[in-house]
Amino acid sequence: MPSPVDRLSLPDASRSRRAEAFFIWNRRLHYYLGLYLLLACWLFALTGILLNHPKWEFAQFWPSRVQTRSERAFTAPEGVTDLERAQHLMQQFGLVGEVQWPTTRPAGEALAFQVIRPGRAIEVKADLAARRATVQQHAYNVWGLVHTLHTFGGVRANDRVNVRDWPLTTVWVLSMDALAVGLLLMVCSSYIMWYRLKSKRRGGVVALGLGVGSCGSFVVGVRWLT
Amino acid sequence: MRRLYLITRDLHLYIGLFISPFILVFAISVFVLLHGSVGGLGRESSAVSRTVTGVRLPAGAQALQGRARLEALRPVLDSLGVHGEIDFIRHVARDRRLVIPVTVPGRGTTVTLDYDQGVAVVTSRTQPFGEALAYLHRTPGPHNVELRGNALFMRLWRVMADATAYLLVFVTVSGVYLWTALRAERRVGIALLFAGAASFSALIYAVAR
Repeated sequence: MPSPVDRLSLPDASRSRRAEAFFIWNRRLHYYLGLYLLLACWLFALTGILLNHPKWEFAQFWPSRVQTRSERAFTAPEGVTDLERAQHLMQQFGLVGEVQWPTTRPAGEALAFQVIRPGRAIEVKADLAARRATVQQHAYNVWGLVHTLHTFGGVRANDRVNVRDWPLTTVWVLSMDALAVGLLLMVCSSYIMWYRLKSKRRGGVVALGLGVGSCGSFVVGVRWLT
Repeated sequence: MRRLYLITRDLHLYIGLFISPFILVFAISVFVLLHGSVGGLGRESSAVSRTVTGVRLPAGAQALQGRARLEALRPVLDSLGVHGEIDFIRHVARDRRLVIPVTVPGRGTTVTLDYDQGVAVVTSRTQPFGEALAYLHRTPGPHNVELRGNALFMRLWRVMADATAYLLVFVTVSGVYLWTALRAERRVGIALLFAGAASFSALIYAVAR
């Protein structure tokens, strides 16, 4: 029969074991996620720098894009909506990607849209009455590819014209969501790990304080100051 | 070797803690940029307008282009109490108007300036928190290169956004180095490293081929 002392310490020991298991898995989560997301982190970090420096000569892609233009005949596109008709035309022309509509619809019996995917943009202008279309393709170099990988989402925030219509766009968007969730988890797990290092608390408070202060000055400080 | 490990561990910790708020900004804003309104992060707020008369433009300012026009109009905006990053300047010649959107994270202001009458309509809108984060995420960015960075905060933000990206690369590389010291975790770690690289490469191939 356990002594009164043993009875008191049992729940504590169990709690302590659970806490220890939590801290071990928190640490594992941190480096497992970090290793799994490593390549994606590098891609988005480095392309983020490129996007902030559009004047860097070596990363120019628009002037060196390869353009091809062709005239195509087509059979009457099936479908009720413009999107269905555009997708039927894409099928006939062998095009795959996300449909993007111009802000204004062309007059008369015409259908104009872009088909985009990372590294490529294709403009389609179809004359539905004459059953003829011009298809102009812009193929980017590797810098253009990584640039568009960073920004590719199918639909911009507050876009009221377009909807995500290519399944791979949705997969890409979900993977970017997953990367963002992964980064949030890594930040949270790092706070827990740091908190357990008593000798590093003071230095950590300084580093985190500097980060919060400098970041917060942009997020809320600029508005207060101006 | 031991010394290198300890220094790397400290740098990984302190640099990671320093950039963590920036990482949070970039990660949270991804949801606003990709999905628009997410809970209270992306909701619109109502606009507030005021009209100011007797506004004087420097002679010929509306006819200037690019940075020169921006520099000429900056004192006018200052006199109207509008400060921040000028997104662009649109000249509607037919209506004899200039339309100037000015942004700071958390507030968007549009100044519509009738330069013949000397009347400015200043419309301000408080952005929700998520929109402020999204604005910081996508700026300075690749657009309007000639004008971008016309406010001090935007020039500083460019430095901080770049620093975050460079330091993130350092933190990941140092993290890999620290992981290699954990012998018990090598097998799982290598599997995850390859799984992540393979799945991400396959996805890029699928969307871009």
